[in-house]
Amino acid sequence: MSTTAADTKRSARAAMGPYGHVGKLVDELDDRFGVAKGGRVLLDKIFPDHWSFMLGEIALYSFVVLLATGVFLSLYFVPSTDQVIYHGAYRPLQGQWVSQAYNSTVHISFDVRGGLLVRQMHHWAADIFTGSIIVHMGRIFLTGAFRKPRELNWTIGILMLILAIFEGFIGYSLPDDLISGTGLRIGYSIAESIPFVGSYLVSFLWGGRFPGDIIIPRFYIIHVLIIPLVLLGLIAAHLGLLVRQKHTQFAGEGRTEHNVVGSPMFPTFAAKTTGFLFMVTAVTALLGAFAQINPIWQFGSYDASKISYAVQPDWYMGWLDGALRIMPSWEFAGWGHTIPFEVLLPAVVFPGLIFTIALLWPAIEQRYTGDDQIHNLLDRPRNRPKRTAAGVAMFALLFTLFAASSTDVMANFFHVSLNATLWFFRIAVIVVPIIAGFVTYQLCREMQGVHGIGKRKRAVIVRRSAEGEYTTVPAAPRPDDERTELDPEPVPVRIDIEPLGNGDEVRQPAVSPTGVRQVTR
Amino acid sequence: MSDADHQPSRTRVPMPMAAMSDPHMSDAAQQPARVEMIIAIVFVLALACFVLFGIAYTQNWDYWTLGGSIGAGLFLLGFGLTAWGKYLMPQGPFVEERHTLRGTQEERDAMSAALVERTAVVVKRRKMLGGLFAAGAAIFGIVALFPLIRSLGPLPANSLEVTDWRRGTVLVDSTGRRVRRDTLVPGGLITVYPEHTVDPRTGFITEDGQAVDQTVLLRLPGGPFTTMPGRETWTPEGYVAYSKLCTHLGCPVGLYEQELELLVCPCHQSMFKVRDGAVPTFGPAPRPLPQLPLMFNDDGDLAAQGPYDQAVGPGFWERTT
Amino acid sequence: MGSVRAQTTRTFRTKVLLPGGLLAVAAMASLAMLIPGAAAAGHSDSSSVDISPDQVTTKACGTVSVKGVTGSTPNAGNPFLSSNKTCLNGSLISYGNHYITYANPPKAFVDAGRLLFAQACSSCHGSTANGVSPDGTATIGPNLQGVGAATVDFWVSTGRMPAADVKAVEAERKETRLTAVQALELAAWVNSLVPSVPAVPFPHLQGADQSAGQDLFSLNCAACHTIEGSGDALAFGTNAPSIVNKSVTAQQVVEAIRTGPANMPRFSGNLTDKQVADITSYVTGRLQHPVNPGGFSLGGVGPVAEGFVALLIGVGGLALICFWIGERS
Repeated sequence: MSTTAADTKRSARAAMGPYGHVGKLVDELDDRFGVAKGGRVLLDKIFPDHWSFMLGEIALYSFVVLLATGVFLSLYFVPSTDQVIYHGAYRPLQGQWVSQAYNSTVHISFDVRGGLLVRQMHHWAADIFTGSIIVHMGRIFLTGAFRKPRELNWTIGILMLILAIFEGFIGYSLPDDLISGTGLRIGYSIAESIPFVGSYLVSFLWGGRFPGDIIIPRFYIIHVLIIPLVLLGLIAAHLGLLVRQKHTQFAGEGRTEHNVVGSPMFPTFAAKTTGFLFMVTAVTALLGAFAQINPIWQFGSYDASKISYAVQPDWYMGWLDGALRIMPSWEFAGWGHTIPFEVLLPAVVFPGLIFTIALLWPAIEQRYTGDDQIHNLLDRPRNRPKRTAAGVAMFALLFTLFAASSTDVMANFFHVSLNATLWFFRIAVIVVPIIAGFVTYQLCREMQGVHGIGKRKRAVIVRRSAEGEYTTVPAAPRPDDERTELDPEPVPVRIDIEPLGNGDEVRQPAVSPTGVRQVTR
Repeated sequence: MSDADHQPSRTRVPMPMAAMSDPHMSDAAQQPARVEMIIAIVFVLALACFVLFGIAYTQNWDYWTLGGSIGAGLFLLGFGLTAWGKYLMPQGPFVEERHTLRGTQEERDAMSAALVERTAVVVKRRKMLGGLFAAGAAIFGIVALFPLIRSLGPLPANSLEVTDWRRGTVLVDSTGRRVRRDTLVPGGLITVYPEHTVDPRTGFITEDGQAVDQTVLLRLPGGPFTTMPGRETWTPEGYVAYSKLCTHLGCPVGLYEQELELLVCPCHQSMFKVRDGAVPTFGPAPRPLPQLPLMFNDDGDLAAQGPYDQAVGPGFWERTT
Repeated sequence: MGSVRAQTTRTFRTKVLLPGGLLAVAAMASLAMLIPGAAAAGHSDSSSVDISPDQVTTKACGTVSVKGVTGSTPNAGNPFLSSNKTCLNGSLISYGNHYITYANPPKAFVDAGRLLFAQACSSCHGSTANGVSPDGTATIGPNLQGVGAATVDFWVSTGRMPAADVKAVEAERKETRLTAVQALELAAWVNSLVPSVPAVPFPHLQGADQSAGQDLFSLNCAACHTIEGSGDALAFGTNAPSIVNKSVTAQQVVEAIRTGPANMPRFSGNLTDKQVADITSYVTGRLQHPVNPGGFSLGGVGPVAEGFVALLIGVGGLALICFWIGERS
């Protein structure tokens, strides 16, 4: 009757079963949600290990950073163009009439402790977000991962890219400073140039005449609520499809169209990816700490009659700015109407064309190659020279346009006339992509044709005979050089560093209920 | 306590084990103690960095310490965790079978049959019903957009075309000061607005004004001149006024090179010859800047003879020349 | 000339003799104002003030060409509409207000200036600085008569003149070949040919309003010099120079604004001396000492540099980390 406390503890622990608190938790969750079987599937999920498969994670985790830093900023930012007098730490603005949006952003930068760090992290993360999406997209494109059954995932990805670009543009226009306000004026004019609907579009969106006072609050809600919600939904769909269809992988030992080879979700992949999340956040924080970005206090509040020279948009809009600069001034005016082609073509038609081609690329390639098989193995870029060349040519075009957005800075730096620089880019934008595509194509063909290119070369032993004749003999191959296909065989699903403590024997391996097996080397 | 009734006696699930030297562990796991030590040191350093961040924040230290400490701490934490995963956890390669997503042909047919034939039950003219429903939904979709789009703002009307310049409107600068005969010397430039449209206190446009009113006023040397035929009276005493909105994309054309007599738009470097009616000679701008006809009123102030003779700013569909 | 003696002598002349001389003259002139009938400040004196477009002739100030300054806005560079003005013995000594004092170099500099001009400038501007060479054709340099002391001082003290490459589209700022005193000597001599305005400005920036200066800068100056003052290329090989360059002095900023050198517009009646002082204070006080609380400024070039850093260091660095984490084959 009088049980000691130790007895109670021991019996309580015994009642919990051999796995202690974890076992109890699994019991409770399984009662409610049935996680035991399905959860095991999740734990055993295999992720291929190639480094280029992690590029999408950069985008995902920088989005997480954007959400976190964005929440902080949204607690201080005032989305209003009402005028106030600036009273704060930055002297050259002291006593000036500025908009509330600008005032609150300068306030965050100078008067909120840690505010500038979070603001800069948010902007750096936005640049990294769009950059990593494009790099990830490039990897998917060059390896053919968009092919059946993953066309929808590709489409979702392109939609996310478009949203990311708009989100960034809207985001850096929120502080209502001179530079981003100029960008808004340009955006207004671009929308205005669309035939039939242009003037209605801008009058509706801006609530009347430019600049009005509703655009900042509208952009705010689009930036913090509407687009992030859509992005979250698309990310969920993107990852869901990835889980359902499983990841692609490169061909190699043991890897076929019908399996996935790599490391398990728990604990290996979970540890690596969580660590990577911290590192992405760290890189953003270090950039935010040591590299200044968008110092809006130097620009002043936006005024429609003020302008600065050498203004560019953020880098992911740079290709549009470059296209606008080099376009010749072809405007059509007649029969009571005007169609400004010098705005429409570079800023509406051209990006529309690019994104449409991107969205439809899986269908385009399928039509061109006639290949409608399911592909789970990736291509090596060199094995698809035409696709690779097309991708490189497109990238070269966009990069040349991006470079063209800084014609004035280049003219200044290289001491060349501005006019000459512009003509240089007008020609380059046609010539460079053609050359880049052609060179890439040839390079791919060359690399395909040479056996063993890119692999480690075998050593060659040079022998000189007494007569002075040289002969070459290949050296013996190194152990890892000659790899052959291996058959996977069922082996342990778990590796223990140390025994469990109660003398369990080494058992012969069993196959995991989910069918995961190990590949022997 | 009554759980014991439901469960059989619980024992550990025997999971097979292997040695550290198993090839599915990374090479570094051969010396687990050393790797563990390194990772532990990394975690301790990360902890120290976070503590430093906490102190830097509460003590309001400099910016670089604040940002650098949190950045370094996060990096070390992530690095340690990733190294733990990479070196001390089973790497594989492990294999998982891909289950074919597709079903059998029978399953597909059964699915299609379910979709098609269930709706055929009882109702003969399902196509008509379906069509009517779809039409209703479509019409709803369209009219639901009406308030979403139309209520956003007013119709453009002539707001893109008409400025506040009228006959006799005096030119003022951003402080509200009227432009007089000698406000500018030859080679000078100033941004001007219609009188009473700029609040001199804030420098911002008032309710009566618009951003499209902004005008750049220049004075050219060399005596009277005419920009274009028919505009002989528009440039009294060497003053000439053009709309400051670039005809390309509406950026303010505030960059003036007085020896070249060129207005250059800072955004995309369109160049306008001032003496010839701001005709674009280079760059993407398609049309000359509209010119404001000037005159001196009885008080000696510079005033407009009338409105701009055409719409200012970039092109749009309804714009007529 | 590297001897410490010559150095000290030059420094002595620039830093002690010149201001001292000007002060002495100003002091004498102020005393002279007490004598009835002598030059008065800002108002007409016993002889008529003839406000013809180009010239003003008064008894005490002599003939001064006021071409290029406004005749109606007070304290905007016109000596006869300034709060303070001193003239002596038929020449304009100084004028201005407590924001900027404009002063002509002392008469003593004229002779030295004439000799110096003959050596260093007459080959391009003509022996009488009128842009006409001995054989009657136009010289490569323009007519300098009537440009005023400030113009000469600006071009010479920034090193643009004497020109290194006469065929260049625009003369660029470079190492000065002539000293500050020599610049004033040249200014004195050129001004003596046709006395003009503006005179050499001496801005007093203590009471200037940097915030008003920022507002004016962004409206009037940023379109060419960029909002950060780093300058950029303009049309046909011309350029707007950098003004964050610390060798740009406050005096040179005022001179540039008031004289409109090369392609820069000339700001006279549309900016008062107070506004010019505010802009100058913003340029020399803030633009030249930028506040970069967020870290390295990446050259102040803007989003292009930021994009490169984000892609190369941000995405690139993270890709390298991926390279470490993942497999390579």
